[in-house]
Amino acid sequence: MKWNLNAVALGMSVFLSTNALAAVDPEALQQAVERQEYELKLLKQQLAAMAEQQQQQQQQQQQAKQQEVVKAAVQSEEAKRPWSRFKFESYGSVNYTSDEYYDNVQDTSPERRGRFDLERIVTEFGYQFTDEWDMEVEIEYEHGGTGSALEYDGFDEFGEFESEVEAGGEVMIEKAQLRYRPNQHFGIKFGNIHLPIGLSSILHKPNQYLTVLRHRSEAAMLPAVWNETGVGIFGEYADFHYQAQVISGLNSEYFRTYDWIASGHQKRFERVNADDLAYALRLDYGSFKQGTAVGVAYYYGNTSGNRHKSNKVSGDGSVSILAVSGAYVEGPWILRGQYLHGTLSDADAITQANKSTPGLKPGNFAQLGSESEVFFIEAGIDLHHFFDLPLTVFANLDYANPLADVDSGSATKRYENTWTSLGVNYSPIPEIVIKAEAGRQQVAVAAIPDTNFFALGVGYQFSL
Amino acid sequence: MKQLKYSAIALALISSLAACGGSGSDDTPVVEPETGFSFSADEMIVNLSDDVIVSGYSILADRGAALLLATQTLVATPTQANLEAAQAAWKNARQPWEQGESHIFGPVDSLGIDPHLDSWPLNTTDLQTVLANSSGFDADTIKVWNDDVQGFHTMEYLLFGDGVTNNVKSIDELSVNERDYLMGLAEVFRDYTRILADAWLVSHDGQSGAAYGELLKNPGVNDNTFYSSQVGVIEELIQGMIGIVDEVGNGKIADPFGSSVQTADTSKVESQYSWNSLTDFSDNIIGVRNVYQGEFTGEADKQGIVDFVNAANPELANRVGREIDDAILQIRAIAGTNDMPFRQAIQDTEGRVRVQKAVDALSKLQTSLQNEVLPLLQEWQGK
Repeated sequence: MKWNLNAVALGMSVFLSTNALAAVDPEALQQAVERQEYELKLLKQQLAAMAEQQQQQQQQQQQAKQQEVVKAAVQSEEAKRPWSRFKFESYGSVNYTSDEYYDNVQDTSPERRGRFDLERIVTEFGYQFTDEWDMEVEIEYEHGGTGSALEYDGFDEFGEFESEVEAGGEVMIEKAQLRYRPNQHFGIKFGNIHLPIGLSSILHKPNQYLTVLRHRSEAAMLPAVWNETGVGIFGEYADFHYQAQVISGLNSEYFRTYDWIASGHQKRFERVNADDLAYALRLDYGSFKQGTAVGVAYYYGNTSGNRHKSNKVSGDGSVSILAVSGAYVEGPWILRGQYLHGTLSDADAITQANKSTPGLKPGNFAQLGSESEVFFIEAGIDLHHFFDLPLTVFANLDYANPLADVDSGSATKRYENTWTSLGVNYSPIPEIVIKAEAGRQQVAVAAIPDTNFFALGVGYQFSL
Repeated sequence: MKQLKYSAIALALISSLAACGGSGSDDTPVVEPETGFSFSADEMIVNLSDDVIVSGYSILADRGAALLLATQTLVATPTQANLEAAQAAWKNARQPWEQGESHIFGPVDSLGIDPHLDSWPLNTTDLQTVLANSSGFDADTIKVWNDDVQGFHTMEYLLFGDGVTNNVKSIDELSVNERDYLMGLAEVFRDYTRILADAWLVSHDGQSGAAYGELLKNPGVNDNTFYSSQVGVIEELIQGMIGIVDEVGNGKIADPFGSSVQTADTSKVESQYSWNSLTDFSDNIIGVRNVYQGEFTGEADKQGIVDFVNAANPELANRVGREIDDAILQIRAIAGTNDMPFRQAIQDTEGRVRVQKAVDALSKLQTSLQNEVLPLLQEWQGK
C-alpha cells in the first residue's frame, strides 16, 4: 500500500516539474506532452492496479467475514445439538451353567443342575458439560429383574429388619459420578464411584476377562463391581496411574462365612449408614484396561459404627484388604492374575453379635474369618495372530478361602474352594464374544467329592 | 330432571343428618350376622399363655439344666450307666421343645433361638474338625461357632452314634474330647433355654421390655405393639398349629419319604441318630393338641382353642379334636408291630404304606384348621 502511494507521489512530482519547462520549443513541447501523456497513462494504469488490489482486499475481507458467520452458525448449531457431548455405552451377558450342588451340609452325593441366567445388562450414559466437567451414570439390571430393599425399622418390636418385596434380580445404580478433570495429572470425582479394589471393578465388560462368569475367587471375598458413595482423586504421570478415595464403609451385620465381607456392602439398604468411612488407594504402572500393567491397592475401613444395632459390637470391626495384580497382554499372549488378602478385627465379636441380633438370622453362616485369602490366574492365547479365526483359548485357576483364619476354634474347610478350567472365547465381531468353559471345583473337605462344571455365555459391548 | 335429583340428594342428606343429631331414642334394630358367634376369650388366652406356652418353656429350661448336670456327671464318671442317663436326659429335653414347635412365634423366633438349639442337618465334617483341633471346650467359645456343630443334633450324634444300624452307643466309643464337647454343648443349650424362658416370663428382650407372656395376655392394652386385639392373639395361635402340622406332614415326613423307595433319602431324617424321629413327630402334634385342648395330656380340663371353636360349631370342635388324635395315632403306627424306626420305615414297602396314612391324616387335619377353624375369626364377635 505504501509503495503505491510513493509511486503516485513520484508521478505527480515528475508531472509538475516537466510542466515548468513548457512553451520553449514546439518539438520539445510535443515531446513533453507525449511524455506527460505516457506518464499519465502509466499513472492511470497504476491507479487501476491499485483499485483492483483494493477490490481484491475487500473481497477477501468479505470472504473472511462470511467464513466467520458460517463458523458461528455451525457452533450455535452444535450447541443446539447436545448429543455431540452425550455418551452412551452398554454391555451385558447371558449365561448357561451346568454344575453340581449339594442339598445340605451332610449331603456328599451331588446333583447336577443346569441354569440360565440373564446375568447382567448394563447401560451407561455420560455427558461432557465442558472440557473439564463431565458426569456418568451406570445402571445395571441383574438377572433380568427388579429387586427389593431391606429396611431397618427401629420402632417395631426389638427393631426389625424388613424386606417388603421378594423378587428375583436387581436394578441398581452402579455408578453415578461427577468428574472434574483439568489435566491428565489430576482429576476429582464424586458421587457413587467404583472402588479400585479387585480387578472386576476395572475389567467388568465381557471381553475384558476370559472366564464365562467373573472370577469366582473375587466373588467369595469382595462385592462384585464394588461401588460406594464418596469422593476420589485420580490422575496419571507418565505410565503411572493413581487413585485415592474416601467412601462409605461396610456394615458388619451382613458379613457371612461364605463371602466374608462382600454381603456387608450396604446396597441392600435404601440409605447407607455413614458413621464409619473407608479409604481406598491404588497405584498402577501401565493400564489394565489397555493391556499390560502391574498394580497394588489397599482398602481400610471400620464397620461397627455402620451397624443398625451399633451397641452389639464393642470393637471397630476394621477391614483391611491388600490387592496385588498384574497383566501381560502382548501379541497373542494374555496373562492376568490377582492376589487378595484381607483381615477383619473383632471377627468373633461380630459373629456372636450376628448370631444374637433379633430378626437378623445368619444362622449357620455366622462364623467369620479373621483372615481371608483369594487369588486367580488366567492365561490365554489369541489364535487370531496365527490363523484367520477370532478365537482365544484359555486356562483359569481360581482359589478362595474366606475363612483362612479365625479368632478362635477351627475354621470349617467347607468354603475353601479351588476352580480350574479350560475354555474358549470366540468373537465373530469385536462387539460380541461367545464363551465356553469346562472345569472342576474342589472343596478342601476330603469327604466332599470334586464336581465338574460347564458354562456357556454370550456377551456384548458397544459405545456410541 | 337434574334438579329433581339434587333435591332428592339434599333431602336424603338433611334427613340423615337430622337422624344423627336426634335424641337418644334408638329404634333401629342391631343386625346380627347369621354366621356370627360370641365367645369370651379372656380366660382361654391367659390359660394358653401361662399353662401351656410359658409352662412348656419353663419345663424346657429345667430339662436343659438337668441335661447339663447329666453330662457333667458323665464327664466326671464316664460309665455306661451315666451315658444312658445322659441319653435319657437328652430325650427328656427334646420333648418340651418339640411340643413347643406348635407355637414357634415370639422370642424363639425374634431372638433367633431356634437355629441355636435345633439346627438340622448336623455338619459332621466340621464336627470332626472341631473335635480333632480343639479341646477344653467352654460355652462362650462354642457360642461363636456355627450352629450346625451345636444344639440338639450334635449332642444326639455324640450320645447315640451315627444311627445307621442302631441307636446304642457304648461308653468306650465316646472319647474324652467328645465328652468334654458334649458338656460344653449342654451348657450352651442350658443358657439358650433359660434365655427363652426368661423372655416369656421376665422380659421379651432381656432388657427393659415387658415379658412376652404379658404381651400375649394383654392385647390392645397401653403400648402393646405386638398384639392390638384378641383376634390377633388367637390368629397367631391357630397359625402356629397350622405351621407345625404342615411342617411335620409336608416337611419332616414327606421330604425323606420321597415318591418311592428309590427316592427315599434317610440323610434328611431328623433325629435319626437316636431313632427318636417318630417321638419327635408325635410330640409336635401333641403340642398342637396342648394348644387346642388348653392343657397338657392328662391334666384337668382348661380352656383352649377347642372352646373357641365349640362356641361357633360344636360338631367342628369335636371333629378337629378327633383328627388331632388320629394324626398322633397314625404317626405312632408307623413303627408297626416290630418298633421300626422312621429311617427304616421309609425304605420298607409296608412301612411306606403306614407313612402314607400318617401323611394323609396330617393333611386332613391341616385342611380343617386352615379352611374351617381359621375362618371362624371373621365370624367371631370378639374384641
